[in-house]
Amino acid sequence: MKKVTISFIVMLLLTVGLAACGAAAPSGATDTIKIGINAPLTGDIPKVGEGTKYAAEMWLEDIKAAGGLDVGGKKYNVELVIEDNEAKAESATAVTTKLISQDEVLVMVGPQSSKQAVPAGEVANNLKTLMVSPWSTNPNTTLGRPYVFRTPFLDPFQGPVLVNFATKEFGATKAAVLYDVASDYPKGLAEFFKSAWEKLHGEGSVVAFESFTTNDTDFSAQLTKIKDSGAEVLFAPQYYNEVALIVQQARELGYEGPILGSDSWGSAELMNLCGDACKGLFFSTHYAAAGATGATKAFIDRYNEKYGYVPDDVGALTWDTMLLVQKAIQDCGKITGDIAVDRQCVRDAMANIKDFEGITGSMTFTEEGDPIKCAVIVKISDAGEFEFYKQVCPE
Amino acid sequence: MTAISSKLSTGKNDLSLLFKKLWAPFSLTPMLSWLCGALIAVLLEQTVGLYVAWTLGLPKIPVLFGVLIMLETPILFPSAVLYVLIIYILPVALIAWLTTSLANNLAGRLLDLQSWLAVLVHLALFYAVLHLWAEINDYRVLVVRLTLISIILTLSLNVVNGYMGEFSCSHPGFMALGAYGASVFTLALFTDDRTFGAPLLPAQLGVLMFPLSLIFGGVLAALGALIIAIPSFRTRGDYLAIISLAFMFIVKSLIENLDFVGGPRGLGGQPDWANLPTVFAWTAICIWITNNFVRSTLGKALNAVRDDETAADAMTVNTRQTKMVAFLFAAFWAGVAGGLFAHVLRYVNPGSFGLQKLAEILAMLYFGGLNSVVGSIVGAVSFNLVSEALRPLEIMKWIIIPVIFILVMIFRPTGLIAFTEFNVVNWIRPKNRIAE
Repeated sequence: MKKVTISFIVMLLLTVGLAACGAAAPSGATDTIKIGINAPLTGDIPKVGEGTKYAAEMWLEDIKAAGGLDVGGKKYNVELVIEDNEAKAESATAVTTKLISQDEVLVMVGPQSSKQAVPAGEVANNLKTLMVSPWSTNPNTTLGRPYVFRTPFLDPFQGPVLVNFATKEFGATKAAVLYDVASDYPKGLAEFFKSAWEKLHGEGSVVAFESFTTNDTDFSAQLTKIKDSGAEVLFAPQYYNEVALIVQQARELGYEGPILGSDSWGSAELMNLCGDACKGLFFSTHYAAAGATGATKAFIDRYNEKYGYVPDDVGALTWDTMLLVQKAIQDCGKITGDIAVDRQCVRDAMANIKDFEGITGSMTFTEEGDPIKCAVIVKISDAGEFEFYKQVCPE
Repeated sequence: MTAISSKLSTGKNDLSLLFKKLWAPFSLTPMLSWLCGALIAVLLEQTVGLYVAWTLGLPKIPVLFGVLIMLETPILFPSAVLYVLIIYILPVALIAWLTTSLANNLAGRLLDLQSWLAVLVHLALFYAVLHLWAEINDYRVLVVRLTLISIILTLSLNVVNGYMGEFSCSHPGFMALGAYGASVFTLALFTDDRTFGAPLLPAQLGVLMFPLSLIFGGVLAALGALIIAIPSFRTRGDYLAIISLAFMFIVKSLIENLDFVGGPRGLGGQPDWANLPTVFAWTAICIWITNNFVRSTLGKALNAVRDDETAADAMTVNTRQTKMVAFLFAAFWAGVAGGLFAHVLRYVNPGSFGLQKLAEILAMLYFGGLNSVVGSIVGAVSFNLVSEALRPLEIMKWIIIPVIFILVMIFRPTGLIAFTEFNVVNWIRPKNRIAE
């Protein structure tokens, strides 16, 4: 009994002593700029979260190497607060609330997929904090929310880009679409592609508009229909794991025409899964890894060296987002220490950014916080690399 | 060897002796005293919490009892412990000890006057504590609201999986029906939004009608339950589990293919009506009604059906009707929880109501304990708090939480607090009286 009491008292004293030490350590919070990262580190899409985290950490290294972030002639320390949203909508909201109200971040980067970005955008907008999503393409993420921005181009732009490309490149007049009806991104893009195609080639020129549900692995019924419909091009706005299956099954069933993809194809994993079947196909994306030059090449090489794989579009878009945020903070010109004032200032600076040169292209923001930027058409080379083929810009 | 084990056991005895000694002054402390202590503690936090935190070297008031701070910056561990000690533990203990006799007196008089009045006073006091505690930070408010919604969900699933003894997997489906039902109700009738256009009724009416929209969501979920109950209640056990799982996927696919509610893009723009008092009131009502339900004749009949359906039938229990009522009751509350969930997040997406949600609800239920209202509350609260508190650990979190679950399942196979009755009056009785 006595021993326990004594050890209890010793522990208490130790706690008090250590607390006194700890108390002296953190101070001068005004010299630090906090940036929140809201990423899906666990859950359905951990690879996306990893890409986000790596790109953000690489950016932080640069800032640290420069001795801090230079705002209005004063160097500030930068701290990244990286939080896991488990790829869930409610967690993304909780993380956003925590980052903004508890950690008091100046800016929040993320969440990535629209399922999380739409509700998180609502919170960030209500709490008047700049949020930039590097990956979300759902129009509702930024619509009517002055504090929410994004860096990828939108589906209503990407759809017509692909339609024009397929028309010119393959001389096709009849198209087929195969998409996942249960997933927000493929469904949206499939619909934009269809409407753009029918506008160009007339009603009924999309001869097959076939769908399946997430986690389906057998597409033979849909592909047989597509083959029999006489389509000259097949559009599959799917993620890399499904793309491999679709392409291989289409070829086995004897569909010989070109298969066209969207930015969701652009993952390093695609060629591992798809192999030779995918060589020679085209897809639209944000940037081309193979044959890149300048800043893009520097980024890819550095990332590859550090983490052991070529970054996919999430990494590149997050990198651009970090640089955009950095520019917005620097353009603001002054950190007052009053977080509400600073957030407003950074948000206004963000809205005024013109012709920002990122590795995924040049960006200017619309009033809704969406970028006006060019898309890249990539050809998968015989070596299995994503080669730059063509750039398409909005008129 | 024996020396060591005897030493260990004396150590354990010492510890339990210490706890007993520490607990001794509080053995007669009624709930009222604890609530008063908690009220003082949260008031203390409101007024001097920030200064105490600064003095201890903490940048802000620790948001979840310091756990987040401990995990994010371990060097501040002692400061966080001290903060919790100074702001919460010491004042609560002191006030509880000081007011013991007074509160016993008061609680006794209140209980003699009217027992419902006594319950209401305690509930009001508890809400005051919760409100003041949460008010410090938006994050706390959100966590509390999501936790309360989890309580409703867990409780409603307990009626089916615990009291009725079936294994139903359709709860996320009911929740989705409720969420979409309530959202469409408020969006179409009271808000000017992108999906449904101008409101059909004046928007000012909306806040008052919010309970109606939740009930609408609940009824929709109950209707969904009816659809699966009619064919599937001819089966039991594994078969019902599979049919209910199928129902969950059907609801998800249905919503994904319904374009007028946004399909896979989801439905957003719900007004912010599910604030803390609203969610708290609905949770309290749900606990009250469910507790009465499971303690009623129908609830006892439900237990009889669980233990032996044939025997129950022989004892004049209408088994089919009993099961049906309980299932619809559970679905209704899951629907209400869904409606609240949609209005807290102000966005719903069919992807949110899938297997992951199901696993979560089941985990909360089996962690807390079957056949027990208190168990459901404990399960939901602890799962939510642990899950929030361990967030900084990222992937490690999903190793620690399952390990905790496995341990619970090994040492308490039916959950932490299973097969107990929740008697509110017993909880708030003055401790100088004997339990009823």
